[in-house]
Amino acid sequence: MKKVITGNQAVAYGVILSRVDVISAYPITPQTTIVEELSELTASGRMKTVFLKVESEHSAMAALIGASTGGVRCFTATSSQGLAYMHEMLHWASGARLPIVLVDVNRAIAPPWNIWSDQSDSLSQRDTGWVQLYCEHNQEVLDTVLQAYRIAESVKLPVMVVLDAYVLSHTSEPVEIPAAEQADAFLPPYCPEYPIDTREPVAFSTIATPDHFLEFRYKIQKAMEQVSEISKKVDDEFRSRFGRGYGAIERYGKEEAEMLLMTSGTVTGTSRIVVEKLIGKRYDLAGLKIKRFRPFPFEEIYGEIKGAKKVAVIDRNLSAGVGGIFAQELRAALYSKEKRPHIFGFVSGLGGRDITPELIEEAIQYTADHARPEEDILWLGLKK
Amino acid sequence: MSDPIQFKGASQMPMISVSFGHMDWNKTGAWRAQRPFYEDKTPPCRASCPVGNDIAGFIQKVTEGDFEGAWNLIKEENPFPGVCGRVCFHPCESKCNRRDYDEPIAIHALERFVSDFALNLNRKMQEAPGVRKGKIAVIGAGPAGMSCAYHLTRLHYDVTVFESSSSAGGMLRAGIPSYRLPKDVLDREISNIEALGVEIRTGIPFGEDVNLDGLKDYQAVFIATGAHQSRSLHIPGEKGKSVFGGLDLLKKINLNKKVKLGDKVAVIGGGNTGIDVARSVIRLGKKATILYRRSKEEMPAFEEELAEAVEEGVKIRYLVNPIHIRQEDGLQRLECLRMELGEKDESGRRRPVPIPKSNFFFKADSIIIATGEEVDVSYLPKGMEKREGVVLTQRDGSTGIKGIFAGGDLASNQRTVAHAIGSGKKAALAIDCYLSGKDSEEAIRQILIGEGPSISISRYLHPEEKRINPRVVTFDELNTDYFEPSERCREAKGVVKKRIKGFEEVTSGYTEGSALEEADRCFSCGTCNRCENCYVFCPDASIIKAEGVLSRQVDYDFCKGCGICFSECPRRAISLEEEAR
Repeated sequence: MKKVITGNQAVAYGVILSRVDVISAYPITPQTTIVEELSELTASGRMKTVFLKVESEHSAMAALIGASTGGVRCFTATSSQGLAYMHEMLHWASGARLPIVLVDVNRAIAPPWNIWSDQSDSLSQRDTGWVQLYCEHNQEVLDTVLQAYRIAESVKLPVMVVLDAYVLSHTSEPVEIPAAEQADAFLPPYCPEYPIDTREPVAFSTIATPDHFLEFRYKIQKAMEQVSEISKKVDDEFRSRFGRGYGAIERYGKEEAEMLLMTSGTVTGTSRIVVEKLIGKRYDLAGLKIKRFRPFPFEEIYGEIKGAKKVAVIDRNLSAGVGGIFAQELRAALYSKEKRPHIFGFVSGLGGRDITPELIEEAIQYTADHARPEEDILWLGLKK
Repeated sequence: MSDPIQFKGASQMPMISVSFGHMDWNKTGAWRAQRPFYEDKTPPCRASCPVGNDIAGFIQKVTEGDFEGAWNLIKEENPFPGVCGRVCFHPCESKCNRRDYDEPIAIHALERFVSDFALNLNRKMQEAPGVRKGKIAVIGAGPAGMSCAYHLTRLHYDVTVFESSSSAGGMLRAGIPSYRLPKDVLDREISNIEALGVEIRTGIPFGEDVNLDGLKDYQAVFIATGAHQSRSLHIPGEKGKSVFGGLDLLKKINLNKKVKLGDKVAVIGGGNTGIDVARSVIRLGKKATILYRRSKEEMPAFEEELAEAVEEGVKIRYLVNPIHIRQEDGLQRLECLRMELGEKDESGRRRPVPIPKSNFFFKADSIIIATGEEVDVSYLPKGMEKREGVVLTQRDGSTGIKGIFAGGDLASNQRTVAHAIGSGKKAALAIDCYLSGKDSEEAIRQILIGEGPSISISRYLHPEEKRINPRVVTFDELNTDYFEPSERCREAKGVVKKRIKGFEEVTSGYTEGSALEEADRCFSCGTCNRCENCYVFCPDASIIKAEGVLSRQVDYDFCKGCGICFSECPRRAISLEEEAR
């Protein structure tokens, strides 16, 4: 069934199809219509879910940690300061190996107050031990929610699904909604590793002394390392069932090119048009969409990047004192490789400013015109 | 304590830090500085009930759908739930803690529902078994006398009730119109008391056919002959033709006697008798106007009955005082003075002060004086002291004469059914103490509800039952987070047009659905209803359940005394005290 729906509605459909048992959310700003949709669906009985209205995002995640420990499938959604407020509990969810799925609508963090899109909220949480998946369009949003539960429950790590504020969250697009039976066949019920049985009490998250703490963290890293393989399997299965797949990264444009343009989120959609247009003008160019940020897909990216001499990265985020975070990750990933292209780190579109085709073209033109970047941070569209 | 676990490496370790061992060895109760314990306290409804009904208790039974159990519980203290559910002025509802939250529980309506339910089941009281301890005479088969007889029978006495009129009921039968209290309800409750073994001898006026000398066979006597004389206005013309006493008129109507009132009737007095008279007059197809010397604020009549009277077409004139009644062309010409309110008097109400030269005339076919009733002292035995117009008694109902007790309207100016029932009960207890040589004051102290004055005879009959802390639970002590605002379920009332056509009961009782709904609103103040909040919230799992039911016990081996059960108990049924050091 195809419907014209917003990104937020696409999330809600993904959640229904995932047969989530417990939803916990703080309903006030910076919350989005995602939980509004879900609360209505729950209240009307269309969804058999326990909906917990809590007093803060911190509590929203804390409640899910409890519910997930109890062995049920959990969901929440938030944005911006709300995600920041959840920070402590994000660590807890991954440390306790709970396969919670969270949807973050990418928004800038205040001050100054700004409710528009950039990636600074989700990227601030990159070290919390969550898998992070960024979406380009509403179809991908729905599909990624379904995939996220498969991945989370396989590796026992929480997954954050990220979509751009307004550009996706409040914009309607045609979306194919899978039938419930199909979704059920793809996503079986959740079986917890340590089901709670009151007859055999267990104490969770007990203290681990320096003798063992390092080993628990090692296990989380090992689980992260499995994500590449598992998410590929999940994505392949999804493609065979539904005819759609996304990969950790996606290359488009020329098969071999000297110049690559790396983007994430909705900027990719705009970039596809610009790249196609410039290839038409004989630019030696290909595009690279990064869907998975954590674990960072080093190998996948390197496989695509080897032949390139230059990579332009457009970051809709800023780690002040360093620059764009995707560019920084890429630089680190390439350091040990012998053949390393030059990285052109563009920062643009913060606080919801549009990253227009003209700006993208400007970034590609700069990269084409320069053998190496003149500065570590190349500001795109900055009014000086 | 077991030894710390050592793993060789990550491969041996579980995915997360998890302990499969138990902590039973760690008796955390030793850390406790304060101790929670279950202790039922007195709810304000019961503390203010002159009968001493276990209100929270019977409502709890209603919530469980155990209506018969609720009836049995009420009967422990009160043989007249059908009467009280209809005509009691329900001080319990004025004191209900829910009043401070939204609206008080409709306790009277629930009591009525329970008694009607018992009627429909044709439930009868069972005769109290056991050897009789003595013979007691009760004079007057009104609510005080019948309550005394009922409880004395339960205390294993043979009781004979002497009643002057042709049937038992006293003021309930003579003074209360049947649109408020249908006769069959009264008959049923009286015959229930008879079924226990009480003998009622009617048509025997005290002082005439029977007196104290003739009652020598009885070890004790309880006199509750009531207050039947209409109070005089002390104005010229009040003895005239077509001037009636309020209670006399009500008696006539209740006995279906013909009364000639004419078309336009003036009723003097703003009390409940005045309202009863005016509404009865309306039902006889006449016009009724109540004349009251103060304003609506000061009116002693119950607000709801006043409102019903006005609905039915009763006119009320406030701040007027009759000073003279004359007859003119077959009409009563009532001269009145207009009044204004002055300073507060000893009753706390503003005193009416006449406005000079404000005289005016009010014409009516007949005049009913309903300014209260007085005790007829002419037939009372010598040696019985009187004060403020009533027989003087001790707290236990004893009079100056040994073995003679008094109660009801005869001995009190609190002229309500509930007070009468309560005084009869207290006298029953006192008579038992008197005859078994016990100190009745001490006995009363043991079974006082809250600070009193009501007592629980159930506790006297079953001293082995759990004690209740006399402290009355206040609204501030409740944890209202666990309650949601809800409307009080109203009882249905007949439409005005229909109800003024006759003496059919105005108010119809609850359906089972509304009874359950209303009972659910009860906070159950100070009374554990096994809501299990303590069980759910205890962080140390130290609230014990036995066979799946809350046992109202704390596991002191592990209770750390955090006090969460105490603060999360919605109804203050848990107490917290410092541990002795």
